[in-house]
Amino acid sequence: MYYLRLAPLALTCLAAPALAGDLNLKLVDAAGRPVADAVVTVRPAGGIPPGPIRFPWATTMVQQNIAFAPHVLVVPVGTTVRFPNKDKVRHHVYSFSKPAKFEIKLFGQDETRSYTFTSTGAVALGCNIHDQMSGFIKVVDTPFAIKSDAAGSAHLAGMATGTAQVTIWHPLLKTKDNEMVVNVPIPGSGAASKTVPLTLRSGR
Amino acid sequence: MIRIAALKRLWRRTVWRFQSTLTFRMTLFYGALFAAVSMLSLYGTRKAIESYAESQIRREMTVGSALFDRIAAMQFHQLTQAGNVLASDFGFREAVGTNDAATIASALQSLQGRFKIDHAMFVSIDGVVAGRADGLSVDDQTQLFDTLDAGRERGIVRWRGQSHMVAAAPVRAPMLMGWVVFARNMGPTDLRQLAKLSSIDLHPQLVPLTGATRRSTQVQEVDRDGERILSWARPVPALVEAAPQRLVLEYSLTRALQGYAPILWALLGFGALGLLLAIAGAFAASRRLARPIIALEAAARKVSAGEHAQVEVETRDEIGRLARSFNRMVTAVEERERQIAHMAFHDSLTGLANRTLLREQIALALHRHGGVDFALFCLDLDNFKAVNDTLGHPTGDALLCEVATRLAETCPQGFVARLGGDEFAVIVQDGSGAADQTGRAIVQALTRPFTVNGHRIVTGGSVGIALAPQDGQDATSLLKNADLALYRAKHDGKGSHRFFENAMDAEAQARRAMEVDLHDALRNGELELHFQPLFGLSQNRVTAFEALMRWNHPVRGMVSPIDFIPLAEETGLIIPIGEWALHEACRIAMSWGDDIRVAVNVSPVQFRSSTLNSIVLQALARSGLEPQRLELEITESLFIDNVEATLASLHSLKVLGVRVALDDFGTGYSSLSYLRSFPFDKLKIDRSFIVDLLANKGATAIIRAITTLADALGIETTAEGVESSEQLDILRSEGCNQIQGYLFSRPIPAADVPALLVKLSGSRMAA
Repeated sequence: MYYLRLAPLALTCLAAPALAGDLNLKLVDAAGRPVADAVVTVRPAGGIPPGPIRFPWATTMVQQNIAFAPHVLVVPVGTTVRFPNKDKVRHHVYSFSKPAKFEIKLFGQDETRSYTFTSTGAVALGCNIHDQMSGFIKVVDTPFAIKSDAAGSAHLAGMATGTAQVTIWHPLLKTKDNEMVVNVPIPGSGAASKTVPLTLRSGR
Repeated sequence: MIRIAALKRLWRRTVWRFQSTLTFRMTLFYGALFAAVSMLSLYGTRKAIESYAESQIRREMTVGSALFDRIAAMQFHQLTQAGNVLASDFGFREAVGTNDAATIASALQSLQGRFKIDHAMFVSIDGVVAGRADGLSVDDQTQLFDTLDAGRERGIVRWRGQSHMVAAAPVRAPMLMGWVVFARNMGPTDLRQLAKLSSIDLHPQLVPLTGATRRSTQVQEVDRDGERILSWARPVPALVEAAPQRLVLEYSLTRALQGYAPILWALLGFGALGLLLAIAGAFAASRRLARPIIALEAAARKVSAGEHAQVEVETRDEIGRLARSFNRMVTAVEERERQIAHMAFHDSLTGLANRTLLREQIALALHRHGGVDFALFCLDLDNFKAVNDTLGHPTGDALLCEVATRLAETCPQGFVARLGGDEFAVIVQDGSGAADQTGRAIVQALTRPFTVNGHRIVTGGSVGIALAPQDGQDATSLLKNADLALYRAKHDGKGSHRFFENAMDAEAQARRAMEVDLHDALRNGELELHFQPLFGLSQNRVTAFEALMRWNHPVRGMVSPIDFIPLAEETGLIIPIGEWALHEACRIAMSWGDDIRVAVNVSPVQFRSSTLNSIVLQALARSGLEPQRLELEITESLFIDNVEATLASLHSLKVLGVRVALDDFGTGYSSLSYLRSFPFDKLKIDRSFIVDLLANKGATAIIRAITTLADALGIETTAEGVESSEQLDILRSEGCNQIQGYLFSRPIPAADVPALLVKLSGSRMAA
């Protein structure tokens, strides 16, 4: 712990301000187990750089095997997400979430609808036919957004040096709007590593 | 007061007597036994009932508890179902998802009405409670949320003092948005509905389990206002883990037992009835048992009072045997009594009646109605002592038996009794004055010789007769008088019979009085010696004095020795009197001249006593008198009984040096043989010969014969009772040595002796 605190301080002092830094977060639950599907968004010290935001993954939410795939999808604001039905049964996708309230009735196989998300925030998807189906679309306005992998790791690079506002969201996080904010100093060069313990609601 | 005390005492005694009876004790024992058994069975029954009731209640409690569980499960299920219906409704989920509070509240209200639910709420994931939550305090709401958030969705909870069954259903849209919470009131009314389902009212109550009420989950018995109550508190699933709830079931054991009270009362009643029956039965049985014992007791009482009694033998059991033994015992005792009575009233030797029975017979005859005259004969044998001494007691006894037989033969109508020893008595009815003949017949019968044990025994008997009623009004006086007559008969000569005369009685009494006085006379100095001189014709002076006893009775005056000497001899008083006389005579003689002797009479009784020799020696030694100056006068009668012994005694006296004179010579059984056998110093010619001297020529011849004989044998002679000088002349001419009589002097007191000696020496001059 001692070194962990000292190292970023030293890096901050030594690095040049124009240089960009990385962020390595490790997300664990109260028991120390890795937490997957948590979305990490960062607002760097210098603010969000202008320009369109592009992520290296598809903006598609597939319904396959009576489930949403992927379970959590991160998209930039203004993205139109396609909802293809790859099951033989019908689905009735809905959302009561504030950023996007909609219903898409997908009655046919391989039928695809889409919806354009114009507000940031977390959108909980359900199927009115299959209660057990659950999926989330996290609409963000920053290029620095990633969802944790199965090992609970989230890696972001190229952020401005200085204190970054890191927001962590998870559907079971026991906080308001299921998200929490931590400030992490980003070094001029190298990576700021941090392990963040999350208090999760039991999976129901 | 006294009467009340007496009544009390009487009552107490009656009670005590009853209490001490067998009947009472048996009745008490069996009564108490039955009462104890009844009480025991009553107690046992009560215990059994109590135990049964308790187990019933326990079973009902188990059933009631299970029932509660079932109903609770059902209610929870219903509530959950209802909650799920609402929670899965798309519209409701949309309302929740869009936080449409109005829609949520209306939906809750609608469903609450449809399912008849007391409380319907929505608790959001943020802890906000919507819907009919007005009854819940903030604490309750917080607690509810925390519980739901912790994952508990059903259970019993206490809100505003009332228990509620709560079930929650989660609302997902699609994320968990909150919970629909339905609650149903489980107040006393609702629980009473539940109670109606069990067969007894267990008063089910749901109460919070606080520290004070935390108790064991076992069924417990508690006392509440004197009522015994069985109480069971068991935990129920609570919604809030920190506020555990329990179900309390109660039932009053007292009330349960009240239901059985009639049984116990009936048992008590039957027990009391049984007790009465047992007492009555025991009383009757013990009476039956005691009746023969009472009869035995009464019979024993009669027997002890001397009556004859037998009890009736009714049974063959122990009491019957006792009765039989009792009867046998009474018979045996009576037989023995008869034997004892016979022994008491009869003489064992002869079988005749004894003195006691004789007295009874006399009394009976005296009191017999009509007052028949009868004669009482008392008799004894004349020589029985000699028979016993010479032939032995067995022969003596056999002789008495013979006498008894002979008396019975002689007086076949009479009542014969043996009084003891050789004394017998006969009672004969004397209507015709035949007592004299009977008396003679008895004497004759006894005179005939007896043959006993090969011995021929000649005895005789004397008979005294008393006639009733004139000779005595009772047995004592009749016997005494007959005895007096017998005494007279023996006195007058044996082998005769005498009738009682009143004089005999007076004489006997006088004798008795004299006997008593004589006893004291010697000690009181009433006896005195007088002296009569013996005048020696050849010496022409007084050669001796004869000492003669005088009794100066303080009342009667001088008593003649003829009157008291025989009495003294009879009673044996003659021994001390004679001793005294010897001592006194020797003492007085010492005051006289050496040529004057003193003559002292010795009674046959005295003579036969073994002490005579020593008494003579003592008298001589104490006085210092020379033996030859003492002259002992004995009578012929000594030779009648035992010549040999008499001679031996005389010789031993002679050895002492004293002189021995034969008194009253010529009367009685005068035998010349003993003059030859013993060297008498002197013969005293009886006064009867002297009196005859002047009237009868033959008397002179006898005197002469005596003096001649005496001279020839070298024996002195003394003439007694000389009163005239004519007599003196004849005696002098016939060669008599000494003269004694009133001619010279009557007996005089010792003090007058010197004067007399002087006077006689003067008269000698004159003669």
